[in-house]
Amino acid sequence: MKIAVVVQRYGSAINGGAELHARYIAEHLARHADIEVLTTCATDYVTWRNELPAGVEPINGVPVRRFRVKHERDPRVFAKRSERVFNQRHSFGDELDWLNAEGPTSPALVDYVARHAGDFDFCLFFSYRYYHAFYGARGAAGRAILVPTAERDLTIGLSIFQPLFRSVRAVMYNSPEERAMINAVSHNEAVPGVVVGIGSQAPNSTQPNRFRQKHHIRGPFAVYVGRIDQNKGCAELFDYFETYLKDPAGKLSLVLIGNSLLDVPKHPRIRHLGFLDDADKFDAMAAAELLIMPSYYESLSMVALEAWAVGRPVLANGRCDVLKGQCIRSNGGLYYDNVSEFLGTLEALEQNRWLAGSLGRNGRQFFRDHYDWPVIERKYLDMFARLSKEAPRPAADLLPGWFDRRRQDLPPAEAVLAQLPTGPAVPSYEAAGRRRA
Amino acid sequence: MADFSVRSDSVNVEQIMEQIRTRIREKRGVDYTEQQIRELAAVKLEKFLDPRGVRSDLLTQFKAQRAQEPVEVPNFAFEDATLFESHRGPIQWLRKLLLPILKLFFNPNPLIQALHIQSRLNTINGERETARRQLDALYYELIHNLVLEATRLGIDVQNLKMRLESVSSRLEFNERRARALESVVVYKPSPGDEERPTRQDRPDRGERSERGERDRGDRSARHQSHPQSQQRQYTPPPPQAAAASTPSAVAASPETAGAAPATPNPQTPAAGATPAEGPGQRSRRRRRRRGRRGGGSATALMGAPGAATAPTPESSGEGSAQLPGEEGEPFDDAADEAGGDDQSVEAPPAMGTTATHHDPPAEPVQSTAPPHTSSPVPAGDTPQEQRSAPPPGPGNGDTDPQ
Repeated sequence: MKIAVVVQRYGSAINGGAELHARYIAEHLARHADIEVLTTCATDYVTWRNELPAGVEPINGVPVRRFRVKHERDPRVFAKRSERVFNQRHSFGDELDWLNAEGPTSPALVDYVARHAGDFDFCLFFSYRYYHAFYGARGAAGRAILVPTAERDLTIGLSIFQPLFRSVRAVMYNSPEERAMINAVSHNEAVPGVVVGIGSQAPNSTQPNRFRQKHHIRGPFAVYVGRIDQNKGCAELFDYFETYLKDPAGKLSLVLIGNSLLDVPKHPRIRHLGFLDDADKFDAMAAAELLIMPSYYESLSMVALEAWAVGRPVLANGRCDVLKGQCIRSNGGLYYDNVSEFLGTLEALEQNRWLAGSLGRNGRQFFRDHYDWPVIERKYLDMFARLSKEAPRPAADLLPGWFDRRRQDLPPAEAVLAQLPTGPAVPSYEAAGRRRA
Repeated sequence: MADFSVRSDSVNVEQIMEQIRTRIREKRGVDYTEQQIRELAAVKLEKFLDPRGVRSDLLTQFKAQRAQEPVEVPNFAFEDATLFESHRGPIQWLRKLLLPILKLFFNPNPLIQALHIQSRLNTINGERETARRQLDALYYELIHNLVLEATRLGIDVQNLKMRLESVSSRLEFNERRARALESVVVYKPSPGDEERPTRQDRPDRGERSERGERDRGDRSARHQSHPQSQQRQYTPPPPQAAAASTPSAVAASPETAGAAPATPNPQTPAAGATPAEGPGQRSRRRRRRRGRRGGGSATALMGAPGAATAPTPESSGEGSAQLPGEEGEPFDDAADEAGGDDQSVEAPPAMGTTATHHDPPAEPVQSTAPPHTSSPVPAGDTPQEQRSAPPPGPGNGDTDPQ
């Protein structure tokens, strides 16, 4: 079996969520099939500047074929077109213009996929929102499997992606919430799909004391792992945690791991350690009392899964449906919607060790049941086997005609997004009917 | 957060979250989301613009005014040649040609000027109307924001009130707890304490009697105004002190004073078996406590076994008791002011046992017969201790109903 993994960026040093997801999947599926990664020469997701040489290079035993990006992203043009399609009534052509402005515009990659699609049994496209997935899936019709990594943001409200979700052979979802959202927006229930997610390279044993000694950390602490960015909810986390610090009963410190794009408050109980390697990261999680995930938008929180893998509870932002759903399904974490709930849940986890321990154990079991690598690999292989037996459906062309592209009849993306159901996809919410936003 | 009802490993996150939210509601009041505040503010705005309160149709007009779009009425331009314009060239030429003839019949100039002025007025009014609408929108936004903020502040005030109540109750509890703990630490008898008073008692006697004399002088007027207290001083003394049962001796002599403080000893069955309080008994007890500010040591008031060693200034230096009017008085004041009612003098639930033991000091006043007359003398309740106990006279204040 020969599989192509098509992704916008690829490399050992690239730690973006979807990119890391693609790398892990490629490396694990390489044990079962011939994998070739098709990607661009870009490493920066903002500019899409060509920084790596075009051609083929192996990374961790997987051949990676790179193609040049035709032009870098112009932030001014991209912002203008985003404003147009997200907030105003617009045409299909406007959305295509937005896609070209977003990038990474690599016609060479798309041409290669279209010409060589027959060489592969299946082509896995990661991240529905980028140029390579939209045009690449069109080129590899009948062999395209989409890993959308969709979040609840305005992009999901664009109309160009609805036929994409309906035209691929299968969709590998990251979470039930993502599946429900894509089903609601594109009505692609007929397309084979499975909630897979991603595993984690969690070590079998961790050394929390080594981490404490190395970084001179004493006392109980909560840990945040990831990019320290306002978009990840870190500003809110700092506000909330500073409120927590005013309570003399609270003993927890906050340890931040990751590169910072935001000023970290100067407080003796808030420590920023910068970027750490995987060993230190897992040791930190094992040493922590809990992991805090303040992000509003996640299609799947790998960090939360890693915390569960080492048996630590998670405190997640309840406004992120995916995180909330994960916490409820796993019974491995709590969530907050406001500062009062943040303080209440933090206090509960801090003061009830049995509760934190039980949540951590539940999380670990949830991880083993659903996100261990053998489980993930099996789901992919089962899907490949299923699709191999089914005849491919005739795919409709994603692009409408000349007149249809120019008709200004598409609603703003924010209006579409507002109509999508919200809330975690868990039985209690399903029974009550997931609320309308 | 120590009282979660979930006690097994099969935790249910939704259930825990519900409990946490319930606790938050109890602790801090209701937390509203931004959307909920807006909804509340909208409700308040409508309430503010209630037709019954303001004007019969103000709300309707206000909404209608916001809802209706400004009507675009085309204005006209009226110049001196407007009357004679035509899209047909020949007709326009003919009109110009015949204009002098027309002017023979009437003068069109005033009409032209009037309509020209009217056209300009229309333009100015249109501009003003547009500006007013924009201003109205701003006013509406301003009012809306004010109402929103007022709602938010109202909720904050409500929450702060609840927090204040919570803090007050915690403070009260802590005060009661501190009092209970203090009494336990101070008044717990130890073998050494039992010996000490007898040794210290003798050299103090002269001073104490002197002080008793002084106190008697100071408080005689007060006792005269309260005949009930004087009657209580004539309560028959216990048999052990019967030899010194005259009122003056009871007030002055330390040897005879042992009877009264010994009676509230919680170790005695009579004190332990506290009778059910009758109506008004609590308030009487409270009045007695207030009365103790002027006399009577805390040790004697609490009626603990160590109480017999307490009444002198010297013994208070050991931390066992305080003289009335010294450090002990603000304590009483604080207690009374903090509570001001019966609750303030009750022991906290956690310390209930201790408090119950210390509660009966009022009982000897209520009962005419001293408990140990009808019950065996408990351990530690020796005649020696009884002699060293403070006299139940004015200087002690233990029997002072005020």
